[in-house]
Amino acid sequence: MNKNKEQLLNKRYKAEQRFRLYGQSAIFMALLFLTIFIFKIFSTGYSAFQKTWLIVPVTFDPELMMLEQNPSKEDIQDADYYDIALKSMADLDLNANEDQENELKRMVSYFFEKEIKNELLNDPNLIGKTKEVYLTASDDLDQVFKGNYPRDLPEDQRRVSDYQLKIFDQLVVNGKVESKFNISFFTNADSREAELAGIASSFMGSIFSILVCLMIAFPVAVLAAIYLEEFAPKNRFTDFIEVNINNLAAVPSIVFGLLGLGVLLAIFQLPRSTPLVGGITLSLMTLPTIIIAARASLKAVPPSIREAALAMGASRMQTTMHHTVPLSMPGTLSGTIIGLAQALGETAPLILIGMVAFVNTIPGSPMDPAASLPVQIYIWAESAERGFVEKVSACIMVLLGFLITMNLFAQIIRHKFEKKWS
Amino acid sequence: MSEAPHTVKSYEEELKNLNANIVKMGSACEDALGKAIQAITTRNSDIAENVIQDDEKIDKYEALIEQQVVNLIALRQPMAIDLRETVTALKMSSDLERIGDLAKNISKRTLLLNENLPKNLVDSLNRVSTNVQKQLKSTLDAYLERSAPIAVNVWEGDEQIDDLTNLCMQEVIKYLKDNEKNLEDGTHLLFVTKNVERIGDHTTNVAEQIYYLVKGEYLEGDRPKGTEPIVTGEK
Amino acid sequence: MIKIKAKDVDVFYGKKQALFNISLDIEENQVTALIGPSGCGKSTFLRCLNRMNDVIDICSVKGEILINDFNINDKSCDVVRLREKIGMVFQKPNPFPKTLYENVSYGPTIHGMAQSKQEMDEIVETSLKKAALWEEVKDRLHEPGTGLSGGQQQRLCIARAISVRPEVILMDEPCSALDPIATAQIEELIDELKKEHTIIIVTHSMAQAARVSQNTGFFHLGQLIEHGSTDKIFKNPDNTKTQDYITGRFG
Repeated sequence: MNKNKEQLLNKRYKAEQRFRLYGQSAIFMALLFLTIFIFKIFSTGYSAFQKTWLIVPVTFDPELMMLEQNPSKEDIQDADYYDIALKSMADLDLNANEDQENELKRMVSYFFEKEIKNELLNDPNLIGKTKEVYLTASDDLDQVFKGNYPRDLPEDQRRVSDYQLKIFDQLVVNGKVESKFNISFFTNADSREAELAGIASSFMGSIFSILVCLMIAFPVAVLAAIYLEEFAPKNRFTDFIEVNINNLAAVPSIVFGLLGLGVLLAIFQLPRSTPLVGGITLSLMTLPTIIIAARASLKAVPPSIREAALAMGASRMQTTMHHTVPLSMPGTLSGTIIGLAQALGETAPLILIGMVAFVNTIPGSPMDPAASLPVQIYIWAESAERGFVEKVSACIMVLLGFLITMNLFAQIIRHKFEKKWS
Repeated sequence: MSEAPHTVKSYEEELKNLNANIVKMGSACEDALGKAIQAITTRNSDIAENVIQDDEKIDKYEALIEQQVVNLIALRQPMAIDLRETVTALKMSSDLERIGDLAKNISKRTLLLNENLPKNLVDSLNRVSTNVQKQLKSTLDAYLERSAPIAVNVWEGDEQIDDLTNLCMQEVIKYLKDNEKNLEDGTHLLFVTKNVERIGDHTTNVAEQIYYLVKGEYLEGDRPKGTEPIVTGEK
Repeated sequence: MIKIKAKDVDVFYGKKQALFNISLDIEENQVTALIGPSGCGKSTFLRCLNRMNDVIDICSVKGEILINDFNINDKSCDVVRLREKIGMVFQKPNPFPKTLYENVSYGPTIHGMAQSKQEMDEIVETSLKKAALWEEVKDRLHEPGTGLSGGQQQRLCIARAISVRPEVILMDEPCSALDPIATAQIEELIDELKKEHTIIIVTHSMAQAARVSQNTGFFHLGQLIEHGSTDKIFKNPDNTKTQDYITGRFG
């Protein structure tokens, strides 16, 4: 009898130990995956924040630029820079033939003409003089310099020719290649050229979408939650609504995309690819999340507070607005931010409403076409160029940073409000 | 007590215990009174001694009951009927204790009395005593049965005792007047008679307590009185 | 003088009847205690008096409750005005999670009882003084009310209730969450308050009912079994059920 009991006890302890072990290994697995993921993202992505520049001497020959004596600002603006740009690249190898000159030109981005022009616009006195100008290296050379490009491939499988590599190596030896922080990644819109592509358009697109989403979803959801929780009679109809709100939260996001496409674009004729439409679509998706969070936090307000206010002679409205809603705000707000964070990471509905289009301008308002960060990731991941691989990771890092900031914000809000009164 | 028992069993036990002690004390008093009367009428010193010794037992009951009552009030905070039970027990115990004392006093005087007392005096004393004994017995019955009518009966019967006492007193006074030698015996007899009457009064007190216990209100009106007692001997 | 007169009050929760034919007179400027076992309807009756039962959808009240000869169950009765006249203190101290000052000034604010900041300060001060809390909190009026001890919180709730100068104060087991000293302070306060207010208190503690009230009503299974002066109920109740309950024989 006693022995039996002892065995049973041992068994129970062993079961508990096993259970702990399972739990610990589950957590370990989760951490492992997370670490691998983060490591992968960071190791491929960090280099995107560096940009490789070639330092090339440029002679601002007024004849080649078709400039008169004493040119005005407009003249400089309208001047032709193509020839001096081409010439300065060709001058890197004085013995180059025509093909090689072409290859030399392709060592920098197609933007090099503009970079030279900007240089002169900054300092018009340079006319007739020679100056070393920083030119953006082509994405392939950028990758070569960062060591991401396998140089030992046969030449016909590379996008960089042996000749380009030779000149590039000379430049490196001469200290004419420099790596600097990649500001253009944050200030440029998307581009077909990896070395020029930036996230400004999609970042702004995301922000505009989230703002639109917040402005629509938050008031509607909070009002709905307050009405359902505090005012609506409890009957079959409201039960039905409650069930459907919960169902709505479980609807796949792409369905909301179809709704946006079918209703907002087709019927209301709103402009395609804009954060406005994206925001409205996302707000439909976020609504049930916020309603559920707001209702839960309204429910969590102790009934004694409501009773106290009612017994003081406050009307139902006063009770709700003076006491219940303020007390439920921390929960509602953090629910909202979590809902927005979800919306921020959403891709599928945005693809459907056309926010996947290639946008090379930075949107100035929700009515301008824009991409969004997750869609940008999707677009870049689709692209063939090697230069986009690191951009994808970098964009993921930015998106993660955005999300973490929002969650942090949610925590701070919750903490601040709760601290005040407990 | 109501039929339903208390939720707290130990409380119920304590109340029952208190009740039982009152009954025991009451019968001890009844016993003492009976024996004291027997001793004086049969001139039996042994019985008288016995009564004197037994009074200690009655005193102990009183102390015990008082302690129980204080405990009940402090620890149980009795309410309504329980409160009346408790308070009544306390008051009854002090009346009963007095009855015990008076019986003891009668017995002490018995030991000092002369052997030959006139028969008419003994008869007369016997008459009062028997009546008082009956009253005491009825009172205890009233307590056991929680009967207000019996208590009222006892209460009303006090009048008769007063009358009988007065009659007895008159005879003792006559006895005193007859002969100077009777002075000592006569005085003792006077006190004995007075004591018996006092016992009757205490019994009536107890009956009043019982009435309050049962009804929750006091017996209205003055206690019935017999003819004015003769104290001065002026007639 | 009779302040509140309940006539044949029936209360239903859906189809279940919670109170049967309650008729009860409540004396002005006295403390009336309602006692009885859990679920006997005493709290339900209390909540009829300021119509807090309105909040519960399935609850319906029949019969007349006259306060100052005005039937509060009448359609013409305005609940907000009624609750201004009839304050309530709950079982668990439930101060608003706001400052002490805001707690006490809330009632006067919504009922527009103060014209200026100064007037409001006065109302807050007198209410807190009447609730015997002023000395303890006068230096921290702008700290949260939830930072007080349980007994202080309950006195704050009382201060909040009396800030609108109600004629009647309903107390629903106000001391059940408090320690004996805090309880004694509240009981002393109730004794003070009855000079200006009519008080009805629901309590599970019979000793408390005996200590604070002048009249006691005993509820059992939704019925008012007995009602009378407190000393009568506790010394010699007429009904055996009452007797059995207060002597601890059932419940």
